[in-house]
Amino acid sequence: MTKSFQYVAVLVALGCLFCGCEKQTSPAPVATQEQTPVTGTIVAVGDSLTAGYGLNEADAYPAQLEKKLRAAGYRWRVVNAGISGETSSGALSRVAWVLRLKPDIVILETGANDGLRGIDPQVTKKNIAEIVRILKEQQVTVVLAGMRMVTSMGREYTSAFAAIYPELAKQYDLILIPFFLQGVAGDPGLNQSDGLHPVAGGYRIIADMIYPYVLQAGVKK
Amino acid sequence: MFNARLLFRQIRGAVRQSTVFVLCVALSVVTLVSLGSFSRSVHSSLLRDARVLHAADIILSSHSPFSPALTQAVAGAEQRHELTTARVYEFYSVVRAMDNKASLLSDLKVVAPGYPFYGSVKLASGRAFSTVLAAGSVIVEQQLLDRLHLRLGDRLRIGSTVLTIRDIVEAEPDRPVNLFALGPRIFVAAADLAALKLVGTGSRVNYSILVKVNDQQGIDRVAKELGRSAVKGRERVETYRTASSGVKRFFDNLLFFLNLIGIFTLLLAGIGIQSSLAALLQEQERTIAIMKALGAGSRFIFRHYIAVALMLGLVGTLCGLVASFLLQMLLPELFSGLLPDSVELTISGSAVAEGLILGFMVVFLFTILPIYRLRELKPRAIFGKDEQRLVRNRPVWFTAGAVLLFLLVMVVWRIREVKTGLYFVFGVCTLILVSLLCAEGIMWLLRQQQPRNLILRQALKGLFRPGNATRSTIVTLTASLAVIFSITLVEKNLDTTFVQSYPPSSPNLYFIDIQPGQKADFARLLNIDTIYYPIVRGSVIAVNGVQVDREKERQKRSDNLGREFNLTYRDQLLQDERIVAGGALFRKEWSGLQVSVLDTVLKMRDLHIGDTITFRIQGLPLSARITSIRTSSRQALQPYFYFVFPDQDLKDAPQTYFAAVRVDRQRIASLQNRIVTRFPNVTVINLTETVAIFARIMEKLSTIIRFFTLFSVIAGVLIVVSSVIATRTARIREAVFYTILGARSRFVLATFAAENLFLGLASAASALVLAQTGSWIICRFALEVPCQPFAAVSLAMVLTTTLLIIAVGLAASLSVLRAKPAVFLREQAEE
Repeated sequence: MTKSFQYVAVLVALGCLFCGCEKQTSPAPVATQEQTPVTGTIVAVGDSLTAGYGLNEADAYPAQLEKKLRAAGYRWRVVNAGISGETSSGALSRVAWVLRLKPDIVILETGANDGLRGIDPQVTKKNIAEIVRILKEQQVTVVLAGMRMVTSMGREYTSAFAAIYPELAKQYDLILIPFFLQGVAGDPGLNQSDGLHPVAGGYRIIADMIYPYVLQAGVKK
Repeated sequence: MFNARLLFRQIRGAVRQSTVFVLCVALSVVTLVSLGSFSRSVHSSLLRDARVLHAADIILSSHSPFSPALTQAVAGAEQRHELTTARVYEFYSVVRAMDNKASLLSDLKVVAPGYPFYGSVKLASGRAFSTVLAAGSVIVEQQLLDRLHLRLGDRLRIGSTVLTIRDIVEAEPDRPVNLFALGPRIFVAAADLAALKLVGTGSRVNYSILVKVNDQQGIDRVAKELGRSAVKGRERVETYRTASSGVKRFFDNLLFFLNLIGIFTLLLAGIGIQSSLAALLQEQERTIAIMKALGAGSRFIFRHYIAVALMLGLVGTLCGLVASFLLQMLLPELFSGLLPDSVELTISGSAVAEGLILGFMVVFLFTILPIYRLRELKPRAIFGKDEQRLVRNRPVWFTAGAVLLFLLVMVVWRIREVKTGLYFVFGVCTLILVSLLCAEGIMWLLRQQQPRNLILRQALKGLFRPGNATRSTIVTLTASLAVIFSITLVEKNLDTTFVQSYPPSSPNLYFIDIQPGQKADFARLLNIDTIYYPIVRGSVIAVNGVQVDREKERQKRSDNLGREFNLTYRDQLLQDERIVAGGALFRKEWSGLQVSVLDTVLKMRDLHIGDTITFRIQGLPLSARITSIRTSSRQALQPYFYFVFPDQDLKDAPQTYFAAVRVDRQRIASLQNRIVTRFPNVTVINLTETVAIFARIMEKLSTIIRFFTLFSVIAGVLIVVSSVIATRTARIREAVFYTILGARSRFVLATFAAENLFLGLASAASALVLAQTGSWIICRFALEVPCQPFAAVSLAMVLTTTLLIIAVGLAASLSVLRAKPAVFLREQAEE
């Protein structure tokens, strides 16, 4: 790492420190959520793209979405239930746990890790279908985040992969976000140096993009 | 000048001491010469290896296409003929067999002609890589053929094109040990890159440009220039020298340790030289006194004994050089497989010169004092009046200072660090001081003893008989045994950390992402008895209520609290774990959630028993108190967990299972195919090659370390021999008196044995205490590896050295006992 980069890194760190100070005037977010009465709960289920790999939780999209909702007067809480590295099989295994959070809406973003490991898209599709089925059984509204696979995996694979999301949305009558990383993927300025995970700015775009779909899913004041 | 006949006669008269002296000198020369040539070979081959590991002088890499600025900078330098480049694209892609439609995730590497600039890609056919990898062909790993049921000549659909499998890759230079490849390697020629249609917008590719600099002196300059054009934080510019590698750190440790052994061996050999010469001179005290009485001047005596020392030193050095040459024939055998075959382990002229000069310096430094002190010997010593000579005078301090300075220069020269040199010298001073204190303490303790047993009582008295060098013997033994014990302990610790962590039986197949519902079926299919570790993913959000700043944490280069952790639950320790704080894994009497923490976490944050860590497990905060801190002997490649919860606490949390097993190479492909068919979500990671390579290298290394440790052990044995021999004259006299007084030889033997038992046990025990402290310090601070006490080994070392001391002492006295006392008395009278 070069000197100047370290310098930039320190500046970034300092910047975050100030953000942190600002926030610390009010109690920790966890406590706020427990104490203030909320109208409803959105659970963001997903992988590292939901968890906000490498970032503070406040910078990941669920926290930004909650902030946006609250600013607009919606007293909803958005729980970040993202797990880095999780495949759709993992997501399926923990549906029961997700239900314990008593969600009204679930934003389901999964499958990217299946794709990166070359898992047969039909496996991913079956898993997501099962997750959706269980959630719907419990009267949870599902917003499905569409995902695309990196083109280097091969066209045959990527087209099969991308197709599963609209197919599922149609089959189960879900609200579909066409592509979760729309406008963010591939932009070096909006992603971390690994070229995969968004930075805070990238998540701002994602939160803005998701916002109308969440309203469509029935967020009420 | 001096009398040659006298010289030879004297050497012949003290053949034991002379032999020890010669051996000590020879040993120091052998150590220096072989270590010197070994480190030179390792150093040069390491640099060469580093270049091979990167296949280039400079490597540019990025996760996105290179910026125009950097591309132009490279093109400009290429036009000026400063460098040659080869582009490399690495990415995963799903490839398909043409006929049976089976597909497989593979690790593609598209390379331009010229790759690799250093090292070579080894193919099964033995052909040259560049001639095989033409447009339209691919070279694959055997694994791919097994998994897809293909053969050479079959066709493979990759991206939008179809390529033919031409050969099998066995090794590639810049992928020495790729820990977590998700699929087998496929080499594709850059000419086919466009036809693949896999690299472009929306693809995930590791882009690199390998650079070979035409003027080898200019590597750093060129790298710096290119670095200026690179986008900071996104495009990396590294030379083969700057690129960090765990291998380098390991070799640094190894060379550091070997150099330390070498210098210590030198010190030990020096002590051996000094004590054998002192013994020699002591035996000749009367001769010297007579010479003085007959008018020989101090200067003559000084010159004469310097000649004796030089004579013996020369013989020793020559022996050492011959031994080094002989060793050189053995070394390639010892190092084969570790160093590239191209490295020639020959003794260079400089190594010989170095050995000669250092050998001479060691002889000079360690002989000057005993010889110089002959000046103080008065002719009246003829009458056998032993007198205590003054120890604390200027020459002693002067010599001690010179020896320390010599050591400092040696360390700085060999390890190239003044700080380490100062630490070393400080350590040696402390060692000698503490040894002195130990000797005083031991002698005080022994003096207090009044054993009933006559043999023991006589033995104790014997230790304090006039002229018996008990104090200096204890100091010498304690100090040198402490060094040897420390070296052995450090070697054991290095062995445990690096070598034994890669046993050939290490697991080679890892299964991740087994879902709870699949566990039973999976276990049935795998049919190998193994542990299924439950894994719950979670992150640490606060410690004692204070939030963890993830971004700040992640900026630390070392492991940190900012990442997500694999949590697990179980109620007992793993085989290789033990509790270091907190007593038990969990506490029944505590209410609320509990967690046990691995000691590694303490490096990221200072934590104590009773502290509260708040985790976030999929959106839910969960606070747990620390009940215990564990440590793990951490066999590499064996799973370990930072945070362990009690069984009931996490059982219901979302989890997956992980398993690691050992499977024979032949069975892997079919097993992998069965698992992927039945459990498509389970990812199998095959580490067979990695484990095999590591196990092989580590075993070699342990042989090398043991080999060089042997030198110091031999030095130690020589010291024991010489210091026991040093007390021989006094013993002979004593044995004679005992015999005259009617004692049987068994009594005399028992007394001598008991005397050596006291001497040996006391020195060895105090040496062990010093060694344990020393090895702990070296392991913790110099090598940064975990340190264990090795109780059994320690006990064995103490017992072995004590037995050795007794045995050497008895062997030296045996001839005395066989002789008739009258003979000795007559000889004494004649003198």
